[in-house]
Amino acid sequence: MGSGSAQHRNHINLFREALGQSPDLIIREMKISNTVPAAILYMDGLVDVQSLHDFVIKPLMSVKFKDLNVVLPSKQNLLELLVEEVLGAGEMEISGNSEELIKHLLSGNAILLLEEKRDCIRIKVAGLEERNVTEPLTQSVVRGPMEAFTENSQTNIALIRRKIKDPNLWLESSSIGNVTQTKVSILYISSIASDKVLNEVRARLKKINIDGILESGYIEEFIQDKTYTPFPTVYNSERPDTIAAGLLEGRVAIVVDGTPFVLLVPGLFIHFFQSSEDYAQRSDISSLIRLMRYLAFCIALFAPSLYIAITTFHQEMLPTSLLINLASQREGVPFPAFIEALLMEVTYEILREAGVRMPRTVGQAVSIVGTLVIGQAAVQAGIISAVMVIIVSITAISSYVMPSGSMSISVRMLRFIFMGLAASFGIFGILIGIFGLIFHLCNLSSFGIPYMSPLAPFIAQDQKDTLFRLPWPRLLTRPLLVNKKNIKRQKQVK
Amino acid sequence: MKRLAFILLFVLLIALFTTGCWNRRELNTLAIQLGTGIDKIGDQYKLSVQVVDPGEVAAAKSSSTERSPVVMYKATAPSLFEAYRTMTVNSPRKIYGSHIRVLIIGESLARDGIDKVLDLFSRDAENRTDYYIMIARGTTAESVLKILTPLEKIPANKLFASLDTSSKAWAPTTAFTLDKLISQMVTEGQHPVLTGVIIKGEPKLGETQTNIKQIEPSATLTLSDLAVFKGPRLIGWLNRDESKGYNIIMDNIRSTASNIACPNGGSITLELLRSKTKVKGKVISGEPTIHVQVKTEANIAEVNCKLDIQDPMTIKYLENQAMQKTIDLMKKSVKTAQTRYNSDIFGFGQAIYRSDPKYWSTASKHWEDLFSQLQVKYKVEFFIRRTGTTGNSFVQDIKG
Repeated sequence: MGSGSAQHRNHINLFREALGQSPDLIIREMKISNTVPAAILYMDGLVDVQSLHDFVIKPLMSVKFKDLNVVLPSKQNLLELLVEEVLGAGEMEISGNSEELIKHLLSGNAILLLEEKRDCIRIKVAGLEERNVTEPLTQSVVRGPMEAFTENSQTNIALIRRKIKDPNLWLESSSIGNVTQTKVSILYISSIASDKVLNEVRARLKKINIDGILESGYIEEFIQDKTYTPFPTVYNSERPDTIAAGLLEGRVAIVVDGTPFVLLVPGLFIHFFQSSEDYAQRSDISSLIRLMRYLAFCIALFAPSLYIAITTFHQEMLPTSLLINLASQREGVPFPAFIEALLMEVTYEILREAGVRMPRTVGQAVSIVGTLVIGQAAVQAGIISAVMVIIVSITAISSYVMPSGSMSISVRMLRFIFMGLAASFGIFGILIGIFGLIFHLCNLSSFGIPYMSPLAPFIAQDQKDTLFRLPWPRLLTRPLLVNKKNIKRQKQVK
Repeated sequence: MKRLAFILLFVLLIALFTTGCWNRRELNTLAIQLGTGIDKIGDQYKLSVQVVDPGEVAAAKSSSTERSPVVMYKATAPSLFEAYRTMTVNSPRKIYGSHIRVLIIGESLARDGIDKVLDLFSRDAENRTDYYIMIARGTTAESVLKILTPLEKIPANKLFASLDTSSKAWAPTTAFTLDKLISQMVTEGQHPVLTGVIIKGEPKLGETQTNIKQIEPSATLTLSDLAVFKGPRLIGWLNRDESKGYNIIMDNIRSTASNIACPNGGSITLELLRSKTKVKGKVISGEPTIHVQVKTEANIAEVNCKLDIQDPMTIKYLENQAMQKTIDLMKKSVKTAQTRYNSDIFGFGQAIYRSDPKYWSTASKHWEDLFSQLQVKYKVEFFIRRTGTTGNSFVQDIKG
């Protein structure tokens, strides 16, 4: 290397030093038309080498100034000339702000430096290795679209746009994270979304000042209304159809680069019981299944505590034969029912956590030990009664009926509180707990919308899609509280 | 607003610690009492309690050991509550009373009066009141509770189930729970009855495991007919027909069998499907009368005679016979109550009171005399609806 003036060298070194002499900064030097020394800078692996070669390097190498209309281009507008007539890539920009340029360099741009120019051209040729669009892993359905978001926010936004082909689907992007510079985009349908919620989202995002955002969960914790609550007030999904449906209801989506989980606000209590499949299946079965989800929510929350309360305080509530049966199972069990339940629940949580975290190869070993130890050996050894295993199992299974993982997490935590209340005060304690829970739930809000709406405050019109789902021809309006602007979903057909 | 919330929270917190009766007990610290028997010895009560041994009854254990499924604990004390607490000296667990299935009262105690023993059961917070009360006829409550029963491992359960089934399918028995009994004892112009239980066979042999190892147990528990009370005191027993009559008048019949003699020998049995009785009191010029209206529907269940039941006239004839029989049963029952016991077990006084309270206020003082002379008018409608799956019986066509 050695062509070009000292000033040109310095300019190149400026970038090199900014990146700590990092060897993955590739510098390709050349002479345009055999006269103007130039350099192309890019990060190894962040750009698509093929398109860099086809649309940037090749045209630059082959261009002859004499072929262009200007014989000897004035050095002033050489940059513009290259942009206008030579370079073939899509997105490019002339800029002199080296800080900005470095950011672009790090997000997949190539930078073209010319001798004797402060300004450079950045050319977007990003080409990162990325995951394909696959089936959703966390929110699977039997009937419905089988695609899920990926880690690339551009792909994710495209997936949503493919579902909503409306010019009113607007996007606002910004980078959050002083170090990571993560791209966070707000997505909404401007003709439907409520301005109040939108302004709130913008304001809350603006307040975030952190070094890094690596997952949408970071954003969720920053923008939620109340920090200390077991309940999620921001909905998340990896399903484009769920997000599109939310946008059509007038909610606002937040797409964070680097994670397949897209946020949706406001996230109300009932949203966590709705699955996208509810709307794909016939309304009768959807309604029944939705009711069953609420039932499963109650089972997951109350089953162990009710068992503790009834068997240690309210034995008179059981039918005689059931009581004798339960009593015979408890003969010889050395622990009180509460300790027994606690032991089993904690064991289950440990097994679950191990199951999620452990390497796939040892999975079988752990699950065998888990089933044998809890399911059988503990009962046979007389340490745990068989009915307790049944209770813990039904509880565990019920907590996965909820279509959203966030709600089942809250249930798992609250369950232990209720077990404690049941062990000390019986059903009375459970009732006190339920009162407290209802107070808390009614006190929550998500982006200014009451968390329990449309149940509390009760909105009769929105009951059509709360506990039940009426058939589509009856779903005439969008949810009222979220939506003030554009309520009509469809024209009523007489 | 915040202040109000705090006050509310405070009130709730107080409520936590001021609740009445709650008590943490593990299931394996309870002695679940299913049967209770009370007898009187001198002026002390003898309490016998049948406690279940859950390990022996559990369905999972198919191979039954030699242990008895129930254990009996006994205590004698001047009051029942004291007797219960005395029991802890020989029971390892506290006797738990919410699941009593039967309360059995010895006949001699019943003749002395059952009022004093019932107070504890109606007062105690732990008890449910859905168990049946029976009188141990001709024996003590203790010996009734000692008999081991086949099929239902727990004798108390067997008594409960027997009475429950037979009161639904067999007219002479009737099930009395504690609250029903107490309400009949305190209602004016009404006296209670209770079902009796008797030991058939050899009581001593019934107490051992061998009793349930035989096809025909040496001793069994059988429900008997009804015991008549006057106030709290047992004064005698009705026989089977009188018990039936009682239940017809009291509208206790859900289903039963009724036998009618055929004109040319043999008999026909009817299965009662529905029966509805209305008792109305009337006072006409100072003269009280009772009108009993019965409407019954039945099927033909069994034909053991040569009778053409496909002929509508035969059905009419049978209906008439059945009607006459129903009236006879009721008449017999009323007559026994009027003349032998002079106890208004049917609540006729109550019916008079309802129709003419003014008259009742004067009549109630000498109701005993009035009752024994009371005019009772019967009106029975009897319908035979179906003849079963065949027409005439093949009995008629048997050759030779």
